Amino acid sequence: MTAATAPVRHRTPRAASAVPLNAARLLRVELRRNAMPWILPLIAALFWFDSYRPSTGAAPLYGLRTFWNMGQGGTIIDFGPFVAGVAAWMGSRDGRRGLADLVTATARPRWAAQLATWAATAIWAVAAYLVFVGILFAIYARQGVGGTPPWWWVAAGATAVTAFSAAGFAVGAYWPSRFAAPVATFGGFLAMMLSSQTGFRHNTGWALILPTNSNGNFDSQDSGIFFPWLPDLPIARIIFLAGIAVAALGLTGLPARAGGQWLRRAAAVLTLAGVALAGTAVGLASTARLSAHGMVIPALHDAANDAPITYTPACGHAAGVPVCLNPAYRRWLPDMTAALTPVLAEVVGLPGTPARAGQVAAAYTSSDGGPPQAITLGGHPTALRVSLGMLDMPGPCGFCDGPVATKQFVDQIRLAFAHAFVGAGNGGGSPVQQAVQAALLRGAGIPFAAQPKLVATAKNVPGPAPGPAAGPVYAAARRLATLPAVAQHAWLAVHLAALRAGRLTLKELP
Amino acid sequence: MNVEISDVTRRFGRTQAVAGVTLETGPGVFGLLGPNGAGKTTLLRMMATVIPSSSGRVRLLGRDPGGYGPRREIRRRLGYLPQNLGYYPGFTVAEFVEYFALLKEMPPGRVPQAVATAIERVDLGGRARAKLRTLSGGMLRRAGIAQAIVNEPELLLLDEPTAGLDPEQRVAFRALLRDLGERASVIVSTHLVEDIGAACSKVALMDAGKIVFQGTPDELTARGEGTGAAGDAPLERGYSAVLAAARSATAAA
Repeated sequence: MTAATAPVRHRTPRAASAVPLNAARLLRVELRRNAMPWILPLIAALFWFDSYRPSTGAAPLYGLRTFWNMGQGGTIIDFGPFVAGVAAWMGSRDGRRGLADLVTATARPRWAAQLATWAATAIWAVAAYLVFVGILFAIYARQGVGGTPPWWWVAAGATAVTAFSAAGFAVGAYWPSRFAAPVATFGGFLAMMLSSQTGFRHNTGWALILPTNSNGNFDSQDSGIFFPWLPDLPIARIIFLAGIAVAALGLTGLPARAGGQWLRRAAAVLTLAGVALAGTAVGLASTARLSAHGMVIPALHDAANDAPITYTPACGHAAGVPVCLNPAYRRWLPDMTAALTPVLAEVVGLPGTPARAGQVAAAYTSSDGGPPQAITLGGHPTALRVSLGMLDMPGPCGFCDGPVATKQFVDQIRLAFAHAFVGAGNGGGSPVQQAVQAALLRGAGIPFAAQPKLVATAKNVPGPAPGPAAGPVYAAARRLATLPAVAQHAWLAVHLAALRAGRLTLKELP
Repeated sequence: MNVEISDVTRRFGRTQAVAGVTLETGPGVFGLLGPNGAGKTTLLRMMATVIPSSSGRVRLLGRDPGGYGPRREIRRRLGYLPQNLGYYPGFTVAEFVEYFALLKEMPPGRVPQAVATAIERVDLGGRARAKLRTLSGGMLRRAGIAQAIVNEPELLLLDEPTAGLDPEQRVAFRALLRDLGERASVIVSTHLVEDIGAACSKVALMDAGKIVFQGTPDELTARGEGTGAAGDAPLERGYSAVLAAARSATAAA
């Protein structure tokens, strides 16, 4: 130690610009020595195991790929509890390390110094979240995943990470113990588990605000393909989570040591504002209603988000009929034309035979009351409207027992077509409609014996339980199927209108 | 006067840690002696504006620390080394000192030079980039002193600053104290009477929350002469004599 080299004393008044610069340097030190980077490898492993790995098992559509990690909040579960734990560790640092007196005796308000520590923690956590999700989406993009990413849900996730960091930090600041971090981590897990369990049970009302509740927003993979991801609910969640973060940070500014009276008053106002924000968001969520495109919150809804996404379709032909799909489904166009070719060939030339087939969006709600159908017929000239978003596409599924075989998809399309063609609508159809449907499927290469199981497993096509293809319906179907194709065609040409209107009986089948 | 304390008390529940202390000091090194539990640390914490007094009047650097604005201004000009100094193990020495320079709201442009100077003054220049967790106890103490002096304080409060320092460092530190005391009020709380003798121009002795002696080290030494009080050095004998007298007076009362 030397006494000789005394530095120049500073007594000049501080410039106003020095304050933010000073804060920025403080933040830099905090960023450099923050504990968050140490936990990131663990979070990365968890993210890979829990968010990335399962998602790649789903069909390459954003709605399906992001169902678990964004919709069900898998990524938030991976991040949140650990972020809360590390934030609690950082929040308790001065107390744990016996530096509370020293930090209190400095000019910068204690709360401001704590906010710098928290900000560094949150910056690391949110940056890591965005990088991990960015890598996830970059991999999806390389794999040609169809649609657009659910950016609003990414923003909600980033806000959730921020909220966890703020809540954990407040725990640590109020309880400067080495146990604060594990308790905050466990609390985070508990909160997420409760959120998930409550979310699964509630598809309306206040529970929609919970960050792991996917109801009404990820039930159709056509969000981001035919229509934009509706931002209403994610905005409400962002408000809710931001409110929690603001309230938690405000709480850390309330103790007498935090700073001067005005600063503590500001902290109290901030706390109340945060609580009010969170409460408002819960109120907004409870007004949400399910629309065809997802959850709509009237107070937040922007009609511009209802406008469909424009696109140039990918087209092919099946039995001479043009078949066009959304480019997000381009990879399945050959499967689609292969599926439609035999059934369209059976009915070509009949009145009401579709002149073209086009893909339509899978809606979250049915417009006509019954269960929505994958294929419908309508318009003049008649068009086949295919809603592939309702079906499991060939390849990896993620939500099925295993990958979906092309034959399974093809059979479903043929069933959906035959079901629509005979006019069965949203129900199982009349006995004669069921018989004609069975005969058409038989003609398209699906044996009678396989049909009961196919009908039972098909989405939204009511029918009998799997069993033998027997009984009066199948007896009538067998009679029709044994007729030569020309005779079948001729009978259908005469009776199709009556068949669709439900005016025929089984006895009237040839 | 940089420190003006008048009839100050501080209670923690039923315990009265400081009981009616009156103290005034200007630039120079002021020693605060006393046995364990005498109230030295509590008095220093009040002077460091960490805790308020329960009663009495405190003015530091001409300001009343009761108001937030004046307290903040005092803190800008204050250096404080607590008795049990913690540290951030992941910080380097330079970062630790820089961190406190920034918390003391030093002008950002002056921070790098001030940090380097403070570290040099405690002879840690060669370890500026070493993580605090790698330092010995004595080095950590010196890092603590560096953070206390980084802002060239007008009021420097050091609680047991030489604890953990080896004799060579202690000698160097006393020289540093004398140098700092030429411009600032340096209040050093210590058990080690040799530190007082070597560096302090004034000394106060506390016992049971009260100041039982105030004067120069020579005056304290004189109080021990011919009393047969315990101690290996004259100042120690003065210390023991004053304490014994104070305690017997209390017992008699």
